[in-house]
Amino acid sequence: MLGMDIKRDANKIKRRIGVLPQDFNAFDLLTVKENIEFFGGMYDKSIDADELIDAVDLREKRDVYFKNLSGGLKQRVGVAISMVNDPEIVFLDEPTTGLDPKARRDVWGVIQSLRTKGKTVILTTHYMEEAEVLSDRVGIIDHGKFIAFGTPKEIIDKHGTGSRCIISNCDDKCLAAIQGQWPSAEKNDGEIIIRLESKNSLPEVIYTLDRSGGNYEQIQVTRPTLEDVFLSLTGKKLVGVETEPVKGKKKKKGRKGVD
Amino acid sequence: MANRIIVALKGEAKGFYRNKSTMFWTIAFPLLLILLFGAIFSASGGKYDLYVQDLSDSQASHQFLEAVNLTGSVNLRYIDKQSDLDQYIKDNSLSAVLVVPANFQMAFVPGAGNNTTQLTMRMDPTQSSSNVVFSIVSAVANQANLALAQGSNVITMGRADITSSGFKYIDFFIPGVIALTTMTTTIFWMVSVMTRYRNNGIFKKLTTTPITRMEWLTSQILWQLFVVFLSLAVIMVVGVLAFDTHMNLTPVAIVTVVLSSALFSSMGMIIARFIKEEEAASAAANAITFPMMFLAGIFFPLSMFPSWLAAVANVLPLTYVGNALRDSMVYGNVASATNNMLVVAGFTVVLFIAGIMFSKWKTE
Repeated sequence: MLGMDIKRDANKIKRRIGVLPQDFNAFDLLTVKENIEFFGGMYDKSIDADELIDAVDLREKRDVYFKNLSGGLKQRVGVAISMVNDPEIVFLDEPTTGLDPKARRDVWGVIQSLRTKGKTVILTTHYMEEAEVLSDRVGIIDHGKFIAFGTPKEIIDKHGTGSRCIISNCDDKCLAAIQGQWPSAEKNDGEIIIRLESKNSLPEVIYTLDRSGGNYEQIQVTRPTLEDVFLSLTGKKLVGVETEPVKGKKKKKGRKGVD
Repeated sequence: MANRIIVALKGEAKGFYRNKSTMFWTIAFPLLLILLFGAIFSASGGKYDLYVQDLSDSQASHQFLEAVNLTGSVNLRYIDKQSDLDQYIKDNSLSAVLVVPANFQMAFVPGAGNNTTQLTMRMDPTQSSSNVVFSIVSAVANQANLALAQGSNVITMGRADITSSGFKYIDFFIPGVIALTTMTTTIFWMVSVMTRYRNNGIFKKLTTTPITRMEWLTSQILWQLFVVFLSLAVIMVVGVLAFDTHMNLTPVAIVTVVLSSALFSSMGMIIARFIKEEEAASAAANAITFPMMFLAGIFFPLSMFPSWLAAVANVLPLTYVGNALRDSMVYGNVASATNNMLVVAGFTVVLFIAGIMFSKWKTE
């Protein structure tokens, strides 16, 4: 890392990286500012606490005890602390786990501002839309091995199953016609889902529906998301591991990382 | 390096100051103990209640009772002459009553014939306080007899004739409280800091920064020493102001306090190694400190213990901490204090090495 050996130069590396560990906590009875200064004091030189507080937009909470902050604010303090030594690489381990959607977007904003400052950010997450929104490059790790790597678009194009066409409230006539043409079509709660091999397939679907003389409500075409790719690559067994009560090592194995 | 230690130290100091419960246990609790026990035991070393029924109610009886009062060892409480004494004793659960007979005055009149008078002390002999009161009264009576035999009717009593000199209970107790506070402060601090920081991820975050384990531990030890000496100072000041104890902060006492802080910190670290949950770990610390508090002769001298219990006390480190502090701070027995201190040092070395060994296992 940074041209150094991780074991031998651990101390030199620590000075040049910032880490937000999973389930981060700071000192409950210190304020936001004091916590940032505390961790800043661990380094030979550190960025001014107020500057970091502004960077993560916590000016109003500056003198509030850490224990009195909400989960999202705590994570923002964590991000601020991980930047306190002006690191070249920032590691964020599941920074938005357990946050409500608003708090998550706020943390995203902070992470995006890190990127615009030219920091290398390495983020691990369970949320695929988070990886898709924030990342330049994504790696999917399954059982400790990279199984996909590239920009979100590259991964989707390479491993994705093409766009899906969803027809809702199809009557029997439509259904028969579609299933005649695309035997692999899935029926699900009155919806029919067809995987489209190419863009030209869509007019064909509409033509088939027209000719059947049946009724349907609407046609919707969706691009596959990183989440679809992830599920198809790793299979559902992984989702099972995630929801199990987590026990240290087991979880690490099952975790997928995104960079 | 020094800078990181100071930063970590300052962080703990702020947290300590803001956490009212640690403030209570390290400062207020030992003081409460001292004031409480001091009050209980200084009462028995001080004044007793003496109930008196003065049937004579004459100049002679007044003089005699005034002499008893002047000993400063009893509070006289008068019972009305007309009262039924038996009923009064029953109603008020009295353990010592002095009855001055109606013919008391006659005994002091020269040549009035029968010159003897009988003071009656109604008392419960199973109560040690009533025996003390009895001896006070008889001492005064002896003085009176002596004075009469010399032909003078002046009855005087000096306080020194009765109250025993020497060390008070509180002199024994205060060094014990210092030992006790050192133990509880350091054990509980270590246990709670280690388990809490491990469980809430602060250790994990610290390992990503340049601070080393040794630097962090150093900051904790320095902070612990500060807290321990702070409570020691408060205890001593209160002891001197409230109970007029005489004690000196000798070098042996200081070394003993430093050693025992390390000893009990190591003990706390070992507990925290094996018990991961904060509540469970502090329960374990309680299970160790609580019996030790009673068995190590903190509240009562070991000489009061049955021999088998004294044997138990002899293997507890707190016993030697208490002995070393008492011998050096109060009794001025340097040789014995030094011996006890050396035993404490032995315990400290063993537990410190054990603490380091166990923590190595953990990291491997």
